[in-house]
Amino acid sequence: MELTGTAFWVFSSLAVLSAFGVVFFRNIVYAVLSLISTLIMVSGLFFTMGAELIGALQILIYAVAIVVFYVLVISTVPEFKGKAFQTKYMVISIPVGMLIFVELAIVSLFGAWKSNTGVFTPDVVKEVGNVKAVATMLFTKYLFPFEVASLILLVAMIGSIVIGRKEHVIDEEAEG
Amino acid sequence: MELVGTVVGIVIKSLIFIIGMFLGAAYLTLLERKFAGHVQQRPGPLHVGPHGLLQPIADALKVLTKEDLVPNSVDRVLFYLASLMAFVPAIMILAVVPFGEPFTIFGLEIKPYITDLNVAVLLALAFGSLSIYGVIFAGWASNSKYPMIGGLRKAAVLIGYEVALGFALVGPIMMAGSFSLREIVEAQQNMWFIIPNILAFVVVIFSILAETGRTPFDVQEAEAELVGGYITEYTGMKFGLFPLAEWYIATFVLSAITVIMFFGGWNPPPLLGWLPIPAFVWFSVKVFLLFMFFLWVHWTLPRYRVDQITEIAWKVMLPLALANIFIVAIWIIIFG
Repeated sequence: MELTGTAFWVFSSLAVLSAFGVVFFRNIVYAVLSLISTLIMVSGLFFTMGAELIGALQILIYAVAIVVFYVLVISTVPEFKGKAFQTKYMVISIPVGMLIFVELAIVSLFGAWKSNTGVFTPDVVKEVGNVKAVATMLFTKYLFPFEVASLILLVAMIGSIVIGRKEHVIDEEAEG
Repeated sequence: MELVGTVVGIVIKSLIFIIGMFLGAAYLTLLERKFAGHVQQRPGPLHVGPHGLLQPIADALKVLTKEDLVPNSVDRVLFYLASLMAFVPAIMILAVVPFGEPFTIFGLEIKPYITDLNVAVLLALAFGSLSIYGVIFAGWASNSKYPMIGGLRKAAVLIGYEVALGFALVGPIMMAGSFSLREIVEAQQNMWFIIPNILAFVVVIFSILAETGRTPFDVQEAEAELVGGYITEYTGMKFGLFPLAEWYIATFVLSAITVIMFFGGWNPPPLLGWLPIPAFVWFSVKVFLLFMFFLWVHWTLPRYRVDQITEIAWKVMLPLALANIFIVAIWIIIFG
């Protein structure tokens, strides 16, 4: 119990620190690095709460699969462009940020008393394991939303392929 | 008090694993150099110690005492950090690899693994792919075009093979009905999972070669095109850490995971269970054979082009892995 408490404080303080880094680093590669750090620390928080499946998926999907694409794009941006600071984007980003903050605050405030009301109490989860608990819910009660989500992802994938497809590659040097 | 005990126990166990892996990796370099020598019809390291046996120690001393040169225009923090970011995740996979059943010595139960999580496979995959950041950031921080190209190539290759690898490992997981590596081994006591999962095994071999950057897929450091790829600007021990992490530690640990998933882990081969050979020896022999297989491929085959590699990943490996899932599902329906 004591170990879990210590781990919680270590992980959460590091997560908050790296989240500050994401916002305040002017060098975008450093910002992405802090983002990776934040995501890994959040995964550590999941582990301390006993949600190992979500913790592992958090590293595998968020910290690696998704952020790798950010890094791929960002590392090809010239440095001076990455450091550019334009106030006009704050007009949109501050209200949107506030909105997301309020949403998260509501979810966490009301969610705190809502938790542990389902079938899967901590004892049941300890008995059957994380993976089985998630799979049971995902493939019975939430099957339809699950399939809809995969359909939406498929649509997004096909759309991006259509947008990104080129009829033929124009070799500018060969032409001009 | 319990906290201190747990922490001390885990620290000691981790230190044993890490130091063992370091020494093992040092001698894997000698093994590889000897093997490469014999493949290319030359003796390999011969003069330091009896038959070159002390060569890894000489190498380590040399690499550690080299001048630590950092180019002027690199991003210093990331430049130092990148070599660690390639190295640490490779070591971290060890945390979930079981090397055998728990056994008892002098009344003390010893578990030859650090943790037995029930999502060990996922964590191994996650740590394995985290080391990609070391390569990408090494390329970016070097502030030079060849390392940059090397890093981006590695990222492109890894994105493709990570997906295929993830799908390929679904087969054994389906048959064992568990994500825990120890339970997967226990499920293979009668028959190894290689039998219906042969397609997945092929995919895994390709993915490990790509993920550790061994030769048919070593486009990120293709010396004929990119000087040295992402390690061009590195010197001394920082230079040494990259191959140590990728070629030796990652290859060894991923071989261990492949053995656990497909070749029955520490179970003896069929019909040989009566031999008085401990389980740990069987496991080591299998991992060693698989590691030698990777060396064999490395020193025999020429290099693919980067577009061919990504093409294989998406057009061949991913469909093969999906087909494997289909076959295994039918196998489970028929044979239970």
